[in-house]
Amino acid sequence: MNAIKSETVDGCTLIRLTGEVDLSWSQQVREAVLDALQKSRRVGVVLSEVSYIDSSGIAALVEGFQGARSKGSGFALVAVSDAVRAVLELARLDQVFPIVADADAIPEVTG
Amino acid sequence: MTSAPAIDPHVAVVSEALALAFLADLSETLAVSLDLRQTLSEAVTRIAEFMDAEAASLFLLDEDGKMLECKVCVGPIDIAGLRIPIGQGVVGRTVAENRSQVVADAVSDSRVDRSTDSDTGFVTRSLLCAPLATAKGPIGALEVVNKRTGGSFSADDAEILRLVAAPTSLAINNARMAHELVQQARMRREFDLARRMQKSLLPKRRRDGFPLLGVNLPAHEISGDFYDYFDLPDGRIGFFIGDVSGKGLDAALLMVRVASLLRWVGKDSTPPSEWLVRVNEELCQTSLDGRFVCALVGQCDRNAEHVEFAAAGFPPAMLYRDGEFTEFLSGGAPLGILSDMKFESQVVDLKGASLYCFSDGVTDVRDAQRRTIGSEGVRELISRHAGASAEPRLRGIFSELKQLRLVDDTTLLLIERMQVHGPEILLKRCFPAQPEQMREIRSLLRGALDDAGVETGIRDKLVLAVDEACCNIIRHAYGPEHSGDIDLRVTSENGKLEFRLLDSAPSVDPGRVRAKPLGECRSGGLGVALIDTVMDDWVLQKRPDDRGNRLIMHKKITVKKNNGEDRE
Repeated sequence: MNAIKSETVDGCTLIRLTGEVDLSWSQQVREAVLDALQKSRRVGVVLSEVSYIDSSGIAALVEGFQGARSKGSGFALVAVSDAVRAVLELARLDQVFPIVADADAIPEVTG
Repeated sequence: MTSAPAIDPHVAVVSEALALAFLADLSETLAVSLDLRQTLSEAVTRIAEFMDAEAASLFLLDEDGKMLECKVCVGPIDIAGLRIPIGQGVVGRTVAENRSQVVADAVSDSRVDRSTDSDTGFVTRSLLCAPLATAKGPIGALEVVNKRTGGSFSADDAEILRLVAAPTSLAINNARMAHELVQQARMRREFDLARRMQKSLLPKRRRDGFPLLGVNLPAHEISGDFYDYFDLPDGRIGFFIGDVSGKGLDAALLMVRVASLLRWVGKDSTPPSEWLVRVNEELCQTSLDGRFVCALVGQCDRNAEHVEFAAAGFPPAMLYRDGEFTEFLSGGAPLGILSDMKFESQVVDLKGASLYCFSDGVTDVRDAQRRTIGSEGVRELISRHAGASAEPRLRGIFSELKQLRLVDDTTLLLIERMQVHGPEILLKRCFPAQPEQMREIRSLLRGALDDAGVETGIRDKLVLAVDEACCNIIRHAYGPEHSGDIDLRVTSENGKLEFRLLDSAPSVDPGRVRAKPLGECRSGGLGVALIDTVMDDWVLQKRPDDRGNRLIMHKKITVKKNNGEDRE
């Protein structure tokens, strides 16, 4: 089922999403991402357990990415599942987001 | 090997070496043997020579393990074909006890059966007999008779014969297994032919609005289930479906007989109850060896407005109309048990409804917990696919059944008014325009596209595009101020999918809904851009009845080869 789990280790917040990210709860995803950017200067959204994502979910990620850039914080999508990658490619966003294999590779603060 | 102390040790060593060479040589001959009869005959001759015996013979147990038959012999008297009951005489005793027998003086030994001697004039003086055995037990015996040099066979002789018996048994066993494999391959070929023959008895799928559609999925190579339909002289259609008790070749043969009998009697418009009475009388005149036949026979008009049917021990026929089920219990006992039986018939109004007749294989399908899905499970399955046209619906139902555990032949005959032409409906669903609905809709859509043979990658993109379209209706057309339904219909025609979405929201200005180039939109407008990328074309219009908006999207697809083997 759908779930958001958030953990902060050494100043890096990881948001683990599970399930199908769609309009019914993408607003919560958005808030979780923005909240993490308030708390940490490095944020990763773990997408390995996400089997579906729609444009409202993508929009939440885009907003997080843009927010991090304006703050000079580090932001990345972590362990992206095939289903999510297919949608990112379709939306031509696979080149826009930093996508990393594990949390260690989330970019450092750029500001 | 043991040797008598009186013998010169040097001679013993030489004879031991000779015996070893003989054994090795014989084992090799037996191991590479292709023609067993030839090899055994050669082996027995050489054993007789080596052991200085006047005669030698090889006996094998027959299939039921009670009689021994002489298969190979050398010597003055031909006893090939001689049969000895197990336990009788020296040979019979060797096998019964699975132990070598040494007879020094045959004339006075009570173990020796002298009847052969008196028949043939041969005088048996001494005997040595060793059992032939495999891991599974005795298979026969090897016997040598009368030492040429006079006297009896020594303990060394007994040991050599025991050692020779091992490779001989092995060679016989190998040859038998090879023979069995050949037999099995032949059986498989025969079964395959029978299966194909049986399949060819099922009627060909007929199109152009023909109101019957059948599917048969055998659980084994050959099936005990059958169905058929044919035109009646008065323009109506006769049909039947049945199930022969038991499995395997004999059930299949009976099925062929019953199917042709049902067809023969049904061809001249015999009313369903009379039809079953006549077939039952005929079947009861001959013994079915405890087997019986469950069947449902009926007639309907080409537009499937009315159907009349009667059943004999067949699972209840299920009528589905607008989400409601009615079950019709069988009006009589199975065929072939008792003569003078009556079978009650039913006349059912089929307008706007579907009649499902299925063998008990359908209800006996097991779920993951190995429980039968029962008629409840079948109802659920039918309801789930009810929105689709007949063919994709049955395809969907059977692809779900196949994912469960089929334990029996599974056969289904569907009777309903079929579309003459036009697109096939893959999915039809009306649901409240709420984000919480979308998860289920996506899942239904995936299933419908899978059933239609759409490749997974394309399927997921289409699901995304339809989801985006629904979300736009929810967010922008209805918005926070309005509420209503979304009516989704997916159809397929000539390799082109059409997705039609109707809403009853205030009309949307189509000019405002446009796809921006994907690279430019970061968050807003992404949904429309995705639809535009995935679909070949789409158009947003006012509904013709002016009650809202209509979005129609198209996508050409190449369909995966589906296993159409199960039908026809």
